[in-house]
Amino acid sequence: MTGVISGSGQWAYVAAAYGLTVLLTGAVLWSSWRAMAKAERRSDALRRDRP
Amino acid sequence: MHAYANPTRFLAIARPLTPWLLGVGLLLVLAGVWAGLTQVPGDYKQGETARILYVHVPAAWLGMGGWTSLALAGLIQLVWRHPLSGIAARAIAVPGMLFTALCLATGSIWGKPTWGTWWEWDGRMTSMLVLLFLYAGFIALTNGDEGQRQGGSLSRGAAIYALVGAINIPIINRSVVWWNSLHQGPSITLRGSSIDNALLWPLGLTLFGFSLLFGAIVLMRMRRIIADNRVAARLRRLADDEGTIA
Repeated sequence: MTGVISGSGQWAYVAAAYGLTVLLTGAVLWSSWRAMAKAERRSDALRRDRP
Repeated sequence: MHAYANPTRFLAIARPLTPWLLGVGLLLVLAGVWAGLTQVPGDYKQGETARILYVHVPAAWLGMGGWTSLALAGLIQLVWRHPLSGIAARAIAVPGMLFTALCLATGSIWGKPTWGTWWEWDGRMTSMLVLLFLYAGFIALTNGDEGQRQGGSLSRGAAIYALVGAINIPIINRSVVWWNSLHQGPSITLRGSSIDNALLWPLGLTLFGFSLLFGAIVLMRMRRIIADNRVAARLRRLADDEGTIA
């Protein structure tokens, strides 16, 4: 079949799929964690400063 | 369920649950990826590229499951006006869009060596692309709107949009049955799997692991919205107090 890759070239596609998954999932996990930690620190600080 | 719609009660559960979901999810995903890459043989027809299914299938499941949850949150917001349902819908949108995009990208990467093409305008891929656009539309509709400024609740329009978008979920699911295309038919059904057990077991690990990570992301984003709401409420009270003194 035209364009169908066989042999060791297949691993490049596997690496691309797994690499993209790790990169994007890691980025969303990291940004969600940082945003949550920052917002909760700010909220806790304001509560502590309550007169 | 009504008892947990209170943000304080919700946080009492979400705070200890988040690191557990994150930790167990990461361990399961790592185990599944390790097994999928090193412990199972390549497929006799597709060769090594069949290993992409261990990330592609969980991404598809979470993209579709994400919108189903989002629509359910929209329905709860419309009917019962639970304070947490709008927050949950907002928190689901970004990870749902992430996994839908990953499903399309990993499917495309798998398609090139297997079908000889990156893309085909068939029922499954097109309806999945529609789901990606639905997520983008929902994020655009709810980002910075009045509901976000008033505690995170969804507008009536956004909740109806979420419900109408759910029509696409059974279309995605049945597309490979309704239309004949390059995409193979359903491999895993309630009656069993056409994938051999020797190749199937790592999928259970990644499917469950990515689902836990999805849950962790949703909890983190919900906690951020609740913390932002508390800061905004506190600042409003301080401004009101200063106004009264002046």
